[in-house]
Amino acid sequence: MRLLHNYHYAAAMLLFCLGLHTVIVRRNIIKKLIGLNIMETSVFFFYISLGYLEGGIAPIRTGGADPARMVNPIPQALILTGIVVAVSVTALALSMVILLYRQYGTLDVDRLMREEEPEAGESGKEG
Amino acid sequence: MGAWRHFPIFMITVPLLGAVLLPFLGYVREKWVPYASLLPLGTSALLGVLLIGRIPSGGYLSYHMGGWEPPFGIEIRLDYVGLFLMLVVCGITTLALVYSRRYIEKEVSGGRRTAYYVLYLLMSGAMLGFVATGDIFNLFVFMEILALSSYALVAITGNRNAVRAAFKYILMGAPSSIMVLLAIGFLYSVTGTLNMVDLAGRIAESGFTEVLIVSYILLVVGFGVKAALFPLHMWLPDAHSIAPSPISALLSGLLVEVCAFALVRITLSVFTMRASDLVMGTADAVGVAAAAAVLYGGIMAILQKDLKMMIAYSTVSHIGYIFLGLTAFTAEGLTGAMYHMLDHGLAKACLFLCAGNFIYLKGYRRIEDLKGAWGQMPWTCFAFALASLSVIGIPPTAGFISKWYLILGNVEGGKWLYAAVLLAGSILAAVYCLRVIYYMFFQAGKEGAWEEYWHDAPPAMLLPVWVLSLATLFFGVFSFLIIPSLLKAAAYLL
Repeated sequence: MRLLHNYHYAAAMLLFCLGLHTVIVRRNIIKKLIGLNIMETSVFFFYISLGYLEGGIAPIRTGGADPARMVNPIPQALILTGIVVAVSVTALALSMVILLYRQYGTLDVDRLMREEEPEAGESGKEG
Repeated sequence: MGAWRHFPIFMITVPLLGAVLLPFLGYVREKWVPYASLLPLGTSALLGVLLIGRIPSGGYLSYHMGGWEPPFGIEIRLDYVGLFLMLVVCGITTLALVYSRRYIEKEVSGGRRTAYYVLYLLMSGAMLGFVATGDIFNLFVFMEILALSSYALVAITGNRNAVRAAFKYILMGAPSSIMVLLAIGFLYSVTGTLNMVDLAGRIAESGFTEVLIVSYILLVVGFGVKAALFPLHMWLPDAHSIAPSPISALLSGLLVEVCAFALVRITLSVFTMRASDLVMGTADAVGVAAAAAVLYGGIMAILQKDLKMMIAYSTVSHIGYIFLGLTAFTAEGLTGAMYHMLDHGLAKACLFLCAGNFIYLKGYRRIEDLKGAWGQMPWTCFAFALASLSVIGIPPTAGFISKWYLILGNVEGGKWLYAAVLLAGSILAAVYCLRVIYYMFFQAGKEGAWEEYWHDAPPAMLLPVWVLSLATLFFGVFSFLIIPSLLKAAAYLL
């Protein structure tokens, strides 16, 4: 019964596991990144649902607004930061995907990682 | 009310501010960027030195911004251990930055050099903030700045192996960050606070619930990936060996330690260990993983052909050391772990910079190529040997002191098996370090592999290497300057 009442938490956890599964199982690196974003979104969803209040009002103290009816603004403020972080990670990862595709010609993670292990001898140019 | 009360926040914000201003300078005068980037880090180091002795013994320095009192606003909380680690961070980042100029000129193409220094300052500032903050969400933010800049720095050369290693790092690092974020969400949902001290109080009130258990496990896994604790270390050898050498030095010498420290701090000051079976149970699991890391890292390091790869696996092994010190749950063990963060940071940074010297001058990466290196590069070879002694733990060096306390802590905690593992790890370290030293000094190189005359790296690259290697000696001989305060701080934390 408690689970039914807190269905939004269950949904967030389901999304989280779905995303983690995608990151681990999928071989295409774009799909891995999509999985990563699903994970992130599930956490954002979890935070936002923490602060949600049925029929709540914005937490601005004007006149006789009832504090008990105000939604909790902290999770929203936190998740704003979280979204910025997530966007940066995704942007960086996607730009790396472009570089990887140009240089290896594949998006398949198994083939990427298998391709000529960094041989110690001929890689003198690397730092 | 002296001005020094504001120093903790300036130590963090000055490098971050520098990172914001540097691109403008880079646009006008790219040549000045390497010198200008020293300024913010030097300032932080200076402020840190001025703070020594200002922290009340057994207490802490608290700072908050904009009049938001701690449980509500973000708190900077600096105790003795935190300041100690911040000084280590300042010192090593400054030295590696001095080293960077020549190395980066050669290894990184023109347009990316300013980006390198910007990311470098971001990473240093984030590390300082990460150590000092007393707010758990702020900890996450600094961790993300740290992680993002390190992903980009691993890939900065832009060649295929580097980008691949960085991508591997992201694929493990990003989910771990999300786990930490989720764990913080769980903590907030049951306690309604984000301040670490406040959290500890409320957890003590409410006792352990299922949500807290899940949250703690997520935190251990999340920070475990970032700190490269054994089964979660897969990203480390590639990323640390392929990154430019000054960055390898920072990643191996500081980043993993700082992440391990964050986990310790959360364990000790938020979940207040002894309180529950859960923390002890998790600590047992971490202890097993750490013992496995010591042995696995050591054996893998022996098997490597690539010098930087070997040093990277040695880091996997030494992270195990640090965690074994923590899971001993004795003041000696904790002191050993903290001191190991210092001397491992110094020695590993020195080893990576030495490896960088070989790459810079000769392009040699394989251990076999180092045969007879002594003839041409005596200074680098001697520094390498000295730092290796600290990694093995030979008496006059700092490595001996920390390993002594680590083993003492484990014996006192009744963990004889782990004490034996620590000793075995030292023997493994001796095998992989002495092999390299043997090649360098006692084997003849191939015909034409080395010049006949002394031709070592430029002074700007030798100076940081020698400061680091002499520092391992200094902190070995003068360990009595630091150890008593660490012991006191450790007893206070437990």
